[in-house]
Amino acid sequence: MRLRRLVWWGVILPLVPFSAFAEAIAEGIVQLPKSRSGPVISKRYEIVMNGATLSTQPPLAVVYLEGSFSKPASLPKKQVAQKDLAFLPPLLPVQVGTRVEFPNFDDTYHSIFSYSPAKRFDLGRYRPEERPIPSEVFDVSGLVTLRCDIHEHMRGLILVLNTPHFVITSPDGRFRLTGLPSGHYTLKAWIDSKTTREKPVDLKSGETVHVDFP
Amino acid sequence: MTAATTKANRRAVRGFRTKLSAAMMLVVSAMTALGLYLAQRNVTANANRALERDFQTELSSLDKLQELRHAALAERCRALAAKPRIHAALEDNALDLLYPSAKDELRDLMEGQEPPSDQAASTLHAKFYRFLDGDGSVLPPPNAKEVGPLGATAEAQLAFKNLPQKQQVGYIWADDPALDTVNEVTAVPIFSTETGDVISALIVGFKPLEPGSKTTNAGMKSGIWVDGRLHFPSLSESAKTVLAGKLANLLANAGRGQNSSTIRVNSAVHLLFFKRLNPDSLFPPAYQICVYPLASWSTQLRRLRLRIGGAGALLLLGAFVASHFAAVRLSRPVEQLEIESEHDRAERARAEAALASTADELERSTRYSADASHQLKSPLTVLRAGLETLLAREDFKPEVYEELSGLLHQTHRLTGVIDDLLLLSRMDAGHLQIASEPVMLNPLLEEWLDDLEALPDAPEVTVEKDIASDLCVAGEKQYTSLIVQNLLENARKYNRPGGRIRILARKENKQIVLTIGNTGRPIERAAQRHIFERFRSVGDGAVSGHGLGLNLARDLARLHGGDLRLVRSENDWTEFEVRFRLMESKANRAA
Repeated sequence: MRLRRLVWWGVILPLVPFSAFAEAIAEGIVQLPKSRSGPVISKRYEIVMNGATLSTQPPLAVVYLEGSFSKPASLPKKQVAQKDLAFLPPLLPVQVGTRVEFPNFDDTYHSIFSYSPAKRFDLGRYRPEERPIPSEVFDVSGLVTLRCDIHEHMRGLILVLNTPHFVITSPDGRFRLTGLPSGHYTLKAWIDSKTTREKPVDLKSGETVHVDFP
Repeated sequence: MTAATTKANRRAVRGFRTKLSAAMMLVVSAMTALGLYLAQRNVTANANRALERDFQTELSSLDKLQELRHAALAERCRALAAKPRIHAALEDNALDLLYPSAKDELRDLMEGQEPPSDQAASTLHAKFYRFLDGDGSVLPPPNAKEVGPLGATAEAQLAFKNLPQKQQVGYIWADDPALDTVNEVTAVPIFSTETGDVISALIVGFKPLEPGSKTTNAGMKSGIWVDGRLHFPSLSESAKTVLAGKLANLLANAGRGQNSSTIRVNSAVHLLFFKRLNPDSLFPPAYQICVYPLASWSTQLRRLRLRIGGAGALLLLGAFVASHFAAVRLSRPVEQLEIESEHDRAERARAEAALASTADELERSTRYSADASHQLKSPLTVLRAGLETLLAREDFKPEVYEELSGLLHQTHRLTGVIDDLLLLSRMDAGHLQIASEPVMLNPLLEEWLDDLEALPDAPEVTVEKDIASDLCVAGEKQYTSLIVQNLLENARKYNRPGGRIRILARKENKQIVLTIGNTGRPIERAAQRHIFERFRSVGDGAVSGHGLGLNLARDLARLHGGDLRLVRSENDWTEFEVRFRLMESKANRAA
């Protein structure tokens, strides 16, 4: 009986993200900090440090569902590129165990490294045509600050999460998380390196829960 | 008596000479002493100034080296702070990676041999370095060897309560007391390139810069006073104790800033300077201590003193000789003067004696002639009275009357002689006072001419007169009249029958010149010189004269401020000239 149930879950679960009707949805607005640079004109984001706090500028938040979810055997590769002497995207949420590639699209050397406790790595200097594309697997959750040893102003963030359910808000703070499992969870909103808000949510299959982070 | 005086005078002259040379030597000695004093004071002041200047130069060169070092370190830290890895280590809470990240950047600080002290400032060779975290605490290095070993106590001294905003210089003692080592540390704040805040600090420890490398002052010793302890490797323990005691005292009173004093170290006087090395620092105050032995200066001073003293002595000797000669030279005129004055004194004494005797004689003779005149006059008066009584009788023969009349005439002459003598003696005694009153000359002459014509034995002479009417003589009428009478009588008396008398009177300057000339036998040339002498009658036996008239007339003329002289006596013409003072009467002036 127990075994049968397990087998069933094993068949069903991988299909979950793709089966819309069996999913719960969470949506809402995260109250983002006021942008220091006023209205956004260009879509270019950067990571800024205010005191000891890192955040994107203009502000963005990452909303994710916390809980224990099984780790898939393989996760798709992600990329944080270096383009025009900046990380693109500047903020990348990934699930634990994801391999992230750091392709160099500039005509110069970059030397990407991180001293963050969640992931220390040093890719060394490499040129755009470096193959294979230098990459790292992020297998500890936490915030990783990306830097370039050659271009001191370059700053990027990788938020390593234990969950596959996460999304970046739109510039106005709106988010919509789909394909969530039903059950009792905690929904969290990462706003900056020092600020993460959370709210408990009851997810029911086929229902949309509205959660706002004030 | 004269010999004794001379001896005394010699002594006095010798005394003068001694005093003169003593005074000169005194002046020279005083000047030498003054020179000695001034030179010594000058040398002492110069020594102090020179040493102080040395010290200041040392310290300012030290300051400059330190500034250079600080500038280099500041630049180093600015560059360091810009390094992404340092940033990452500091900001991403990866402080364990700070030292490895900085290792490459600061490698040259720790590499190589310790340079010689004269290059210490330029090479930036550090003994150790440490980072402070955001709270001002020392970040423990993972590998002490790479960042330079430092004891725990010393390391604790590097911490701040808050991170400093600017560079701080401090001096810390090494842990091991046996080492007796002081390290100079410079704390350089590291600013975040993002926020501009101080996020950390780099502290670099050096061997303290040592003064004295720039100058050749070999005797100078230097040390550092920090934390109430003295680091002074070149001094012995006992000397250090003395110095430390003195310094503690001085610093307690002097506060910050540079100061100086003298101190006796190892029984030799030293000049002591101290100056705060790290003014306005958050580290405990540290002082540079410099000690200069005054020994070389004092030997120099002694040598100089000796030289000046020698020069002074030489000068004194020279001055002694010179002053001796000068005194001899100067006193020579005085000696001469003395001799001459002695001679003069004798002369004077002689002259005075002669004068006194002359005066006595004169007095005596004057008194004599006065007495004689009086003695003569009384019997003469009696005689004349007798003769007049006899003439009044009518019972004598006519021959007797003639005889009596002749005798009476003689008594008159005798009275005249006696009067003249009396007058002369009064003049000789200086008792005759001549009044100065106006005497009209013309009436006087007329009067006498009338009188002369009235004389019985008057020869036939013509009188020519050319006299201005308003001539007025300054004198006494009685004596002026006497002079005129004398001259007129002579002119008549020594004339020849049918001769003439010419009387001229004129003004000349402020004198009246009266000339009386007469015809008649001239006075012999040989006798002309003697006519004004007493009892020298000019004429021959035929003419009567007692020989006092001209003498008296001249003396009176001179007393009147004029004179009488013979103008000429030749070719039947004898002419006298008498000069009187002109009386400037109001009438005269008006005329």
